[in-house]
Order: sequence, then C-alpha cells, then structure tokens
Amino acid sequence: MILLVLLLSLKVPDAEQFVGSPKGTPLTGQQLYTRTHEVASLLRCPVCQGMAVADSPSEMAINMKEQVRELLARGYTEEQILQYFELSYGQFVLLKPKFEGVNALVWLLPLIALVIGGTIVAFKIRSLAAQPQPGPVGAPPPDADPYVARVRDLVSGEKK
Amino acid sequence: MNRSVLFIGILIAAALVVILFVGLGKDPAAIRSPLIGKPAPDFALREVGTGRTIDIAQYRGKPLVINFWATWCGPCWEEHPVLVANARALQPDVQFLGVVFQDTEEKILGFLQQRGTAYPTVVDDRGKTAIAYGVGGVPETYFLDASGKIVAKYSGPMSGDIIQANLQKVLRP
Repeated sequence: MILLVLLLSLKVPDAEQFVGSPKGTPLTGQQLYTRTHEVASLLRCPVCQGMAVADSPSEMAINMKEQVRELLARGYTEEQILQYFELSYGQFVLLKPKFEGVNALVWLLPLIALVIGGTIVAFKIRSLAAQPQPGPVGAPPPDADPYVARVRDLVSGEKK
Repeated sequence: MNRSVLFIGILIAAALVVILFVGLGKDPAAIRSPLIGKPAPDFALREVGTGRTIDIAQYRGKPLVINFWATWCGPCWEEHPVLVANARALQPDVQFLGVVFQDTEEKILGFLQQRGTAYPTVVDDRGKTAIAYGVGGVPETYFLDASGKIVAKYSGPMSGDIIQANLQKVLRP
C-alpha cells in the first residue's frame, strides 16, 4: 500500500505540457511498431555520431524510442512528437533540418553551388567554342609567311 | 591565374576562416538549450536511500541546481566533490539536486555512501525526465532561478568557478 502511494506520487514531465493533447488516433499492434520505427528514424540520437534513434543501441536512444512508441500509442501525431523532442533538444535532434533561418542554407547552398558551377562551365565551353581552331582549315597559306616563301624560293632555285 | 578563379578561391577561404573563428571561439560546454528562459519541466522522483518523493516544486523560492549524472560516468566522479563542496557552502540559499539515470539504485547508494553527499539524489528510471530536459550526456547541469525558470545549462564536469559564474546569472536581477 505504501509502495502504491509512493508510485502514485511520482511525476515525470509529460508531452502534454509541451505540445498539448494528442491530435491523432492511438496506434496499436503492427501499425504502432512500424510508425515507431519511422518516427524514431527522423530523430538524432544525442549521444551518438549522426545516428538515428531508430538505429542506435545506446540506452538513451532506446529510452527515446520507447517514448516515441508511448506517444504514438496515446494518439500523438508525428509532427507533435518531433515538436516535443525539438522543444527539449532544439533542431539538433531533427535529422532532417527545417527549411528556416540559417538551416535554409543547408538546402539552398548545394543548389546555389550547382547553379554557379553550371554557369562557369557553360561560359568556359562557349569561350572555347568561339576560339579559332588550329589546323589546316584556319591556317594561313604557306606563302604568307616570308620565311617559308624564302625557303621555297631557294629550294626551287637549286632545282633549276 | 584567372582572376575570377582567384576571387572565388579567396571568397571560399574567407568564409571558412569566419566559420572557424566563430565556431572555435565558443565554449562547447556552454550549450544554448531551447529551454533556457522557460519554466523547467516539472517532476517528482524517488530519492535514493529514503524512497521519499521529491518534487522540484518544493524548492521554488530559491535557486535550484539540477545535476544529471550516473555512476558509470567518469567525469561525474571528478565533478562530485566540487558539487558537494559548493552545496555545503551555499545551502540553504541555493538548493542542489542530483538526478541519476541509466543506473541502478544499489550502485548510486554505494557511490554516495563512499564519497559522501550534501544534497538529495533522485532516480529517473526510464530517462523521461532527462529527455524532457534535453540531456545529451552526463554530467549536465541546469540552473533554475527562484521562480523555477531555467537560466543556464552546462554540459560536462564543472569547476567551482563555473558553478559560481552560472549562479551569478541566476541571481542577477
């Protein structure tokens, strides 16, 4: 009886005080198992090197995954669960950074680099194409070179 | 060398220097938690040794230092005597509270009996409290003001100076 009273007096922080009441449908069985893995795959394990909560064997990640499972079973949506973890850990915990603020650079910089790189390559190709091609087609006639003409004259003079 | 290539190279190098300068100038242990400036998540957990429930709400009215730790964590061993000495010196004006997670009560009790303590320690059985506080690793310490708002967070073992510096933030009007 005393143990029961003690257990009832214990209180841990609940998602409700952070993100409100569940907005989805409580999940059970196989669907709960699959969704737990999917949502845990979107969260970064805080004690690992770039590993998802779903894949990490660390105790911290196991606890976080268990919490994801519990929240899904209570009817919390993926968005609410990610928001709950983000409120505690910041955007660091999201494996897919949000398109906002400085994080937008993560998405935009590769595109900007691609556009700049593509433009440089296109300009280079155009300038190379505009240059005169060496070879017989564009070469000046041999007589135009006074040195060649003199050699030719000398050679023809000897033959005579 | 082509001028445009030189210009782009200088631009990239300058950006890297700025990023390194800003990044290396920061103290990696002084983490900017999204909870700073917000009310600390409420919890009431079982005290090691006595079994009684300790609710952090009972400490409202004075600064509270919540230290997350575990017996398997080497830096926590190093930090423990510093925390105990500061708790002894600052109580009753400042309250200290240890929260242990990913550990067994038997090991915690053994540790505290061997090394001594000056403040209560509670057990976070499934790590829910640690997750709500955004604990990434131990030791991690949160400094709450008298109203229960989180004012500062420190990751890693603290020296007496670090504790004092963070308490200054709490006590600043």
